[in-house]
Amino acid sequence: MEYRTASETNGKHVAEYQNGFNADLHVQEEEGGRAGETETWSKLSRIQRAYSTVLTELGEDVDREGLLRTPLRAAKAMQFLTKGYHETTQEILNDAIFDENHDEMVIVKDIDLFSLCEHHLVPFFGKVHIAYLPNKKVVGLSKLARIVEIYSRRLQVQERLSKQIAIAISEALEPAGVAVVIEATHMCMVMRGVQKMNSKTVTSVMLGTFQEDPKTREEFLSLIRKN
Amino acid sequence: MEQRAVQTQYAAGHGDPKKDAGSGTTCTGEVNGERTAAAASSSSSAVTEGWREERTRSVEDNEMSRPGLAAAYRTILSGLGEDPQRQGLLKTPLRAATAMQFFTKGYQEKIIDVLNDAIFDEDHDEMVIVKDIDMFSMCEHHLVPIFGRVHIGYLPNKRVLGLSKLARIVEIYSRRLQVQERLTKQIAVAITEALKPAGVGVVIEATHMCMVMRGVQKMNSKTVTSTMLGVFREDAKTRDEFLTLIRS
Repeated sequence: MEYRTASETNGKHVAEYQNGFNADLHVQEEEGGRAGETETWSKLSRIQRAYSTVLTELGEDVDREGLLRTPLRAAKAMQFLTKGYHETTQEILNDAIFDENHDEMVIVKDIDLFSLCEHHLVPFFGKVHIAYLPNKKVVGLSKLARIVEIYSRRLQVQERLSKQIAIAISEALEPAGVAVVIEATHMCMVMRGVQKMNSKTVTSVMLGTFQEDPKTREEFLSLIRKN
Repeated sequence: MEQRAVQTQYAAGHGDPKKDAGSGTTCTGEVNGERTAAAASSSSSAVTEGWREERTRSVEDNEMSRPGLAAAYRTILSGLGEDPQRQGLLKTPLRAATAMQFFTKGYQEKIIDVLNDAIFDEDHDEMVIVKDIDMFSMCEHHLVPIFGRVHIGYLPNKRVLGLSKLARIVEIYSRRLQVQERLTKQIAVAITEALKPAGVGVVIEATHMCMVMRGVQKMNSKTVTSTMLGVFREDAKTRDEFLTLIRS
């Protein structure tokens, strides 16, 4: 793998790229917040113009009523769907880690997941099941779902997404073990290409005790099975 | 120059682009009141006249516009803050461009090509239903997928249609930038004009990713639209029978 820690994953890489990118946009640093807004707005208008081109190249009429504001809407939608690039695990987790004398498995399952395939820019969606064995530190339950959001709202590959979620939890909590299972439907396989409607892709990452001890893994997998 | 070629071809593909511009449905072969009447008036060549100028794109157009599309997608990738040079994204602009062209391939196809030889004279006047046709479309407002099922029923008037042709009609109209209401109507009108049946009913239930993945984010919401023409509209019992049969 080209990364070892969560901080080396596409989040940080993207931030560095953005910093280099800002120089091209001649953003005045002393303007502070206003600069941020101007830069965001000019990015948005670039994406907007790109979508206008897309519509024209597809043979559509950009002046018809239904498509008039579509470039703007599509650009904003795409920015929303990739908002994970601007969020970090530290921001959302810092205050929700509690000391608790609990060392039994904690599972949060059936977390809805929506992401974008980085190869075709088409959505894939499914469910994430997360479990961890706390080592005196537990995390607020919704934070697990928020970690999923950070990493899924990006251009992703399902394998990398599972790993990033697992490593993020590992680094934040230092638990005895973490397990992440994702089952998702890829629209790039359903809507185009092979066109297999009912196919699902399942990936899993087992760290720590979940990897070493088959019985722990067995317990987790049976608890997330649909009954 | 390629862009102008595309637009010229598009303009040539419709009788009155200026007249249709206001109605907001120029590119999707919309049948407004006038055209339907004109098509209905000539019975024998109804299929040819009604669907005369539907195709606005060709395979060659696709080849020509692909580099422009790929460049646009590269701009989108860098605008979102991603690095288009990283390994996973190197060929993404081209893949995304081809994928988008596939999702809008309905613009390349004409009803007449699909239907011409599969209409049969059959002495049958009971309801024919093809249900649970998987449908994939693109929301024209957000360029995000819509997917769901289409249920089609019609009452033949001595002419029946090859069953897969109903699914092919769905494909032609769904593989476009669409609005679910318009899609339903287009499918119903296409079948009406091709077959002249006693009635047609089309029901679509779909999930809109633009509502599920963003915006209100309601995971389980479904949108249901229906179009009932002919006997399905006039006779409540026929409509009831159709709706019951597609439910089971």
